[in-house]
Amino acid sequence: MFSTAVRRVSRLTQRTRFIQTDATVNAAEIAHFSRLSSQWWDENGEFALLHRMNPVRVQYIREKLIEIAREEKGEDVAHEMEQRRDAFRGLSILDVGCGGGLLSESLARLGAQTLGIDASESNIRIASTHADADPLLSSSFPTSSSLHYRNTSAEQLLKEPERFGVVCSMEVIEHVDNPAAFLATCAELVKPGGHLFLSTIARTPLAFLLTIAAAEYMMRKVAIGTHTYHKFVNPSELISFFQSYSSPSTTSKQPWITRTYGGGQPTRKEAEVRGLIYKPWSGDWELMSRSASQWGAAECNYLFWVRKPFTS
Amino acid sequence: MAFGAIRRSVSTRVLSYRQQSCGRAFSSKAIQDFDVVIVGGGPVGLALASGLGSYRLVRESLKVALVEAGDLSKTRDWALPPDSYSNRVSSITNSSRAFLEDIGVWEHVDQSRTCPVQEMQVWDGLSDARITFDAADLPASNAAESSEMARLTENLNLQRALLRHLGSIGGTELLQKTRVESIQREDRDGGHGWPLVYLSDGTILRARLLVGADGFNSPVRAYTGIPSYGWSYDVRAIVATLYHPPRGAFQGPNRTAYQRFLPTGPIAFLPLSPTVSSLVWSTRPALAEALCHAEPAALAHMINAAFRLPEVSVRYLHKLILDAHSTGASISGEDICSETAFREKSHGIPGYSAYASVSSMLSAGVPPNDAMAVPPIVTSIQPGTIASFPLKFNHAESYLGEGVGSRTVLVGDAAHTIHPLAGQGLNLGLGDVRSLVQCIVQSVVRGGDIGSFTSLRPYAAERYFANHKVMSAVDKLHKLYSSTWEPVVWARSVGLEVINELDSVKAALMMDAGAGDLERSRWDLLANGMKGVSDGLTTAKMLGQGIGGVFTIGINEITRRLGQH
Repeated sequence: MFSTAVRRVSRLTQRTRFIQTDATVNAAEIAHFSRLSSQWWDENGEFALLHRMNPVRVQYIREKLIEIAREEKGEDVAHEMEQRRDAFRGLSILDVGCGGGLLSESLARLGAQTLGIDASESNIRIASTHADADPLLSSSFPTSSSLHYRNTSAEQLLKEPERFGVVCSMEVIEHVDNPAAFLATCAELVKPGGHLFLSTIARTPLAFLLTIAAAEYMMRKVAIGTHTYHKFVNPSELISFFQSYSSPSTTSKQPWITRTYGGGQPTRKEAEVRGLIYKPWSGDWELMSRSASQWGAAECNYLFWVRKPFTS
Repeated sequence: MAFGAIRRSVSTRVLSYRQQSCGRAFSSKAIQDFDVVIVGGGPVGLALASGLGSYRLVRESLKVALVEAGDLSKTRDWALPPDSYSNRVSSITNSSRAFLEDIGVWEHVDQSRTCPVQEMQVWDGLSDARITFDAADLPASNAAESSEMARLTENLNLQRALLRHLGSIGGTELLQKTRVESIQREDRDGGHGWPLVYLSDGTILRARLLVGADGFNSPVRAYTGIPSYGWSYDVRAIVATLYHPPRGAFQGPNRTAYQRFLPTGPIAFLPLSPTVSSLVWSTRPALAEALCHAEPAALAHMINAAFRLPEVSVRYLHKLILDAHSTGASISGEDICSETAFREKSHGIPGYSAYASVSSMLSAGVPPNDAMAVPPIVTSIQPGTIASFPLKFNHAESYLGEGVGSRTVLVGDAAHTIHPLAGQGLNLGLGDVRSLVQCIVQSVVRGGDIGSFTSLRPYAAERYFANHKVMSAVDKLHKLYSSTWEPVVWARSVGLEVINELDSVKAALMMDAGAGDLERSRWDLLANGMKGVSDGLTTAKMLGQGIGGVFTIGINEITRRLGQH
């Protein structure tokens, strides 16, 4: 019954320029989000939950990058990053499926050279217009042009030479057609030693209940047809993908995740799964602790981080 | 008690909020971009600028401007001789003080002009039911805190400290002697227009976040279109700086605050130094006017009587003053004094009692047993300090602007105005500031747009209910103690519910007192309350069983009915 909603959306005419060439972009999904694009910046509208999730996602990225800096560059560097507003200065970040630019804007404010890409042209238009209204992000202010948007797909971008210190793709993988190919594309866009951050929804009965039955159909907090249950991805599936994945562009065949502990948890320096719980009574999202994800905290929304080996 | 909340309403005057011609008049000027524009340089607006400036992260990344119509350099250079005090005094709770210490402001406050409150005495003007509580009731998190429940501070002392702190950290653009002429929403594509603040000197500020710290008649609130509900109490508060002899050798120091709930409103005595205290007397407007226009010596004797005489005689003295004022006759201090002496005699108040205005003038020798039950006798009033202002209850429906008023936030009196009887006005404002600073810092750390609804939502969520709770309790107390209806008086004095009500005075007064450990302080209050209950029950038995039915009506119900009348 839920797929009918998707089918209905898919009948909307859409630009198909990228769909023909990009294996993972789903036409119906692009149509769905294009239709909603004008609402991206209505903080109490269709994307209200996403607006509230965004600060927590940024907090996670920030904490993770500082944690890694602390281990590799020492306490002083990490402390300095914590004290600075532009903690991401000198970092290039790609935001795949940037939508209206919620995440991209935040990353750019934290000093990262940020590129947001989206297969929907209307999303890119909305994102660019919104950023232009902010003197800190506007391209008309030459000193702060650290944010750019392009209407393209990850596959197209891979044909260009640029690679990124950090690749983020938040709430995207559950909307693409071939998740494995999409993951491989994102992974290839990461520089050696760089980071890949994903967020998505686990394929569990709880997730079905909360994200589709409750959020879309009962509470009408999220547009009907936003999520498709069978496209949800479990944390264990991401972990096992990166246990066998090694970059095809290099000779070394070292996988991104070399080993896991009991319960299938990866080591802290290679990958991490962190649950994200929505608390309806306060209207906030909470980032669950690392240890909590073994106990069901990642049964619904979760963040995933994995690091590309230097040598691969 | 009438600690705090008594502060100069922010003097930012606005000629017209939506003056259409402004756009043209200012069009030749360039627009200056600021991340935070604070309108209003009162204690709350200044504390916000200080709080933001105390974070390196914020100082380095946000451009902050503060607009104030008044002359801030006068406040920065404010100085009075040691025995003179400003008449606007606030009670800074321990948690407010902890915040001011954290952001580095408290060290700029002239400590010699502040006075710790170690004990408070609150009593019912009709029944004399009394509650005493002292700093020992507080959960003692450290030795320094346990010795006081609040610190009485002149508002100007605090404002001067805030300005000195701002001067020492730098970064904040202080636009003083500058009025806000109008606030308009920038007309831009995509509906993302930011607030444009047009100033009297011709500059235009574009604000990522516009903060209304501009008091009860907030122009910023008018711009946001946020409705507010409230009413004016039929009450004016008289303030004055009082001189009195020091407490004698066998008495405690002058560190006890007193408040008597008269049916016309509470009268409070707030210690500032061994020989100086501050008055906050809330009373009917006509009476307030008569008292303010009476000879200062007559007012001094009226104050002494208001703390001491039975209510019926206080009422009689009020009538004398009112009649004299309406006929233009003058009443001297001696007239009131001799009238008071006569009334004391007829009430059978012994000459050696602290309640006798004549004998307690003598501070030498062994003091009467009840010496600490009433404040010292006021001998004179510091010239030029008698003033009065109306009291209001007002609460904005939201603290955050939305839609056309987006990118705005209200703090302090712009968001809420409260009766001063619990001394919480400024403390609520400082609580707002602490929360908003946290909110903005967190937004900066997470790369957020500090003007966005999402970034500011935690501030509104944290403060709205907290403020509303205190405001309702204080409003309810005001109504409850304004009643002379016998069942209410009886119930609030000896009834079971009443102990709870007195306890809620206590809770309202001490709400913020402990720096954090609220749960424990509640338990302490409850334990003390229980002691009061047993006292009350004893009294109730003595009064006879006949009126027991009032118990079942309950104070809540009574106040509800009073509200309908």
